[in-house]
Formats: sequence, structure tokens, C-alpha cells
Amino acid sequence: MSGDDALFVWSMIVGIGVATFLIRFVPIALLARLELPGWLKRSLRFVPTAVMAAIIAPPLFFVGGTPTIEPELPRLAAATLAAWVAWRSRSTLLTVVLGMLALWGLQSLLG
Amino acid sequence: MPQVPSARAEFIAGLRAFAPMSMSIIPFGMVCGAAASGAGMTPAQALAMSWMIFAGSAQIAATQLFASGAPLLVILATATIINLRFLMYGASLAQHFGALDRRRQALIAYLLTDQAYALTIVRSARDAPRKFLHCFYFGLGTATWLCWQSASMVGILLGSLVPANWSLDFIVPLTFIAMLVPLLTDRATVLAALAGGAASVLLVLPLKLNMIAAALIGVAVGLLAEKPPSRP
Repeated sequence: MSGDDALFVWSMIVGIGVATFLIRFVPIALLARLELPGWLKRSLRFVPTAVMAAIIAPPLFFVGGTPTIEPELPRLAAATLAAWVAWRSRSTLLTVVLGMLALWGLQSLLG
Repeated sequence: MPQVPSARAEFIAGLRAFAPMSMSIIPFGMVCGAAASGAGMTPAQALAMSWMIFAGSAQIAATQLFASGAPLLVILATATIINLRFLMYGASLAQHFGALDRRRQALIAYLLTDQAYALTIVRSARDAPRKFLHCFYFGLGTATWLCWQSASMVGILLGSLVPANWSLDFIVPLTFIAMLVPLLTDRATVLAALAGGAASVLLVLPLKLNMIAAALIGVAVGLLAEKPPSRP
């Protein structure tokens, strides 16, 4: 890792660290009596949902980082199965284990 | 032995409340650690990331953006948007912790996670002694922190040893699927998730702004879908 890269990574870590701490600290320290406006509260409810979906979807469609609409079939199928497992079991461990087994199985079948 | 309400007992109750959460924190922490070292960060950087940020979703997003060569400002903005939900948690916890001293509030802030928030709110709604709610929170937060850091460390150390053709990067979407599915409780959240996911795949934006755009589109769709249907 070159010096420039190291500076980039450390700026990223410290920058996100400071921003995250302030987002966590300011409302606890200052909002004892204030309420967030209703529209903001309603919007924030959807942030985790939208963000998580945005983290899940790209690796199902492009593996090498090349954008394509052609889905990675084994990944898409394994992810669908994992979603069903997550819905039925509510277990992260079971979802991850069965999802990986499904992916390996499908990869060796189709590969 | 009767349960005497005390700071100590509440701290221990918090530690205990964490136990079932470990099944989701451990794989998630390992994934974050492994992703960071897989993206080319040194073990010290990966460890510092997990100590300083202590917010898994933002860490994963930042790691992926870093690996794909996004500019620093875009990475910072994306992580900030992902963490905006803590505003909501903080505002809600302020009614319980607003009167504590600043040092304790700072520690509470640092330890704030989705899990700590959810379990503390459940606890506060019960008839547990409210006076010691922060002790419960500290027990819960300490357990979460220790578990998260140990799991990250294992991920950092082992992540670089696993061959790429094992496709272990697929564990990232899998852990997020396990976290996302329980959140899909109504039509609005389902539509928000579909919109966010579709936007992240279909949008080709410069500077890797896709994640921010996908988050905003998902939120907008959720808000629109939430409105009660206006039928005559």
C-alpha cells in the first residue's frame, strides 16, 4: 500500500468515525426535550430497508464489478432461497449456511 | 433470591439480553473484518475501522466503495446517510438518557447499534427499574462491542487466507438478507426495499453515487407507498 493509499484509508476511517459519533451523540445530548420533525422520522424508518437492499442487489447481478443486467443465476437463486430461509427461521446463521451451501451446489451443477 | 433492583443486576440483565443477538453479530462482524482485509486494508487499518466506526452497514458500504475506487467525499457521504438512522434512535433514547452526564452520554452514543436500541426500548417499556436503564444499556453495549470486535478480528485474520473461488464474498449479501427480511413488515417497507435494490443495480452514476441515490429513491418510494390510499 503506497503512502497516498494509506492517507486515503486513514482519512476515510477517521472521517466516518467522527461523523458517525456525532450522529449518535448529538441527539442523545441535545434532544432531551426536542422531537424530530414528523417527516424526518417517517423517512428514517426506510433508510435501513433501502440501504440493505442496495447492498444486497449488486453482488447478485455483477460479480467482477462489470455492470450487466444479466443476473448471476446461481447467486440469484441462492439469494432467493436464503430470503425464504430468513423469513421462515429468522436466523442469520441458518440463512448464511444454507445460502452458501445452495450457492456451492448450484455452481457445481451449472459451472 | 428476590431480584433487588440495582445497577449491577441491570448491567448483568443487559449482558444476558445480548446472548441471542450474538448469532447475528458474529457472522456480520466476521464478514466486515474479512471484507476490509480483502479490499486491501492492512490489519491495523481494518481493526481501526471496526473500533472507530463500530457500525457494520456503513463499514461494509465504505469498504466496497473503497475497493471500487470511489472518491473520499462520496464514501463519507454514503456512510453518513447509512448512519442517519442513529438520529432517530438517539432522539428516542434522549428521553431516557438526556439527564445523564456528558461522559456517559458519549459512551452511550459510541455503543449505539440497531440491536442496543431495539432491546433497550423493549426494556424501557417493561416495568423494569427505569433509574438503572443506562446500566442495562451498558451491559448490552459492552457485550455487543466485545462480540463484534472479536468477530471482526477473526474475519480480518482469516479473511485473507480463504481462496477467492470459495465465493465467500457471497456471505455479505446473505447476512444482509437475514437482517433485511424481518424489517419487511408492510407494503411500504417491501416497496422501499425493491426500489433501493433495483436502483442500486440499474443506475449507472459517476463517482459511485449509486448507493446514495438508491437509498434516497428507496426512502422516497417508501414514503409514497405509506400514504393511505385516497379513495372517495
